[in-house]
Amino acid sequence: MKNNVFNIKNLDLFYGSFQALKDINLTIEKNKVTALIGPSGCGKSTFLRCLNRMNDLIDICKIDGEVEYHGDNVYEKGHDVINLRTKVGMVFQKPNPFPMTIYDNVAYGPRCQGLKDKSKLDEIVETSLKNAALWEEVKDRLKDSAMGLSGGQQQRLCIARAIAMEPEVILMDEPTSALDPIATLKIEELINDLKENYTIVIVTHSMQQAARISDYTAFFLMGDLIEFDQTDKIFTQPKFKQTEDYITGRFG
Amino acid sequence: MTNRKHFIDELNELNHKAIEMGRQVHDSFRKLIVACESQSLELAQAIVEQDKLINELEISINVDAYLLIARQCPVASDLRRTISVLKISNELERIGDYAVNVARYIIKTKNNNEPFLKAIIELATLLLDMLDKIMTSFANEDVQLALDVSESDEVMDNKYRSYIREWIKLAKTADEAAVEEAMRAVLIVKQIERAGDHVVNIAENIVYLVNGKRIELD
Repeated sequence: MKNNVFNIKNLDLFYGSFQALKDINLTIEKNKVTALIGPSGCGKSTFLRCLNRMNDLIDICKIDGEVEYHGDNVYEKGHDVINLRTKVGMVFQKPNPFPMTIYDNVAYGPRCQGLKDKSKLDEIVETSLKNAALWEEVKDRLKDSAMGLSGGQQQRLCIARAIAMEPEVILMDEPTSALDPIATLKIEELINDLKENYTIVIVTHSMQQAARISDYTAFFLMGDLIEFDQTDKIFTQPKFKQTEDYITGRFG
Repeated sequence: MTNRKHFIDELNELNHKAIEMGRQVHDSFRKLIVACESQSLELAQAIVEQDKLINELEISINVDAYLLIARQCPVASDLRRTISVLKISNELERIGDYAVNVARYIIKTKNNNEPFLKAIIELATLLLDMLDKIMTSFANEDVQLALDVSESDEVMDNKYRSYIREWIKLAKTADEAAVEEAMRAVLIVKQIERAGDHVVNIAENIVYLVNGKRIELD
């Protein structure tokens, strides 16, 4: 399907002898928000990290099956991981700005790629901060340390830092779990705006957040993908009892 | 096993109120039949009084459902139950109003229009059966029974139409006062026929509650 960015086929993942993902088949559609939900330890973050091979950093992690990104299996030998992570950016649970200025945080990625042109960097920083809905709040203090920003601002800075690399996909691993409700709503609004230009996959522990912001929802349980459907369907008429029990809080 | 005991308790309470409302509406129509049969104006008056309780139950269900939505954000079958109960209570309230309209007719005419009372008894008996079935269907989440009720409504409609035809014939041969009386009776039996339509609306809501599908029953 040409509108699918990712096509995951028969994905198994093991941490040593423990199987964390079992025969996952799933597609990620372009310019849509896909939410991954499920109880702790269900495999949703593990799955998210497969999409840009962040699990490579774990020695005991072994993967079978395919994670196709535009038709190419990212786990095939010789696949360009650096390029993959440029195209598939990531935002983490806890805001993790670098201990440098706001400007330098956003310019970090492009500089690493060899961009030195000041006016071009200025443009990238401004556009990225605007797209991350942070520009108005920081435009007069770009040379201040990023560590002085509030938690919500730091998280939007991390989104701006990801955007500066001009990714196609942004992976978000519980991006609002460390934020207050107002900062959370700002990020949720931002996610809604961002999907016009980006494809977003988000892990969230908040089912209401998944219901509010996502187009598709995948429900994971003990390494299995139980149900994947349009969010509207999952939250009004799920097909499977396990999904129903989880989203209605009847799950032990 | 649930992690949301308080929420589930509140949802069950909402459900019980709807069942109680159905019981009260059913009882109104039962009284209506007895009032017609026994020429009891007191019983007809009791129906008017009973409607106040039915209205209070509807308001109470509305408030509870709004609070559940605002505070608990129900989803899936919980959401469908909340919405269905809200809509069913609305239908029951209307059905209760129709019982009152018929009761007021009985009070006004002092129960002396025997042929018309016979028609009211017959249609109200059909409606009582429909109410009985629909509330059983709701309590047991029995979709087939809900669909059966829709068929009962066809019987009701046919009965209603045959009475109308009969009374039109009657009006052609009767004097002006009798025609006026027949016209009033037509409007009254129409109330019971409309109540049947609202029972069918409840059936549609039960189908939605159980399987999430919105259907239109004729």
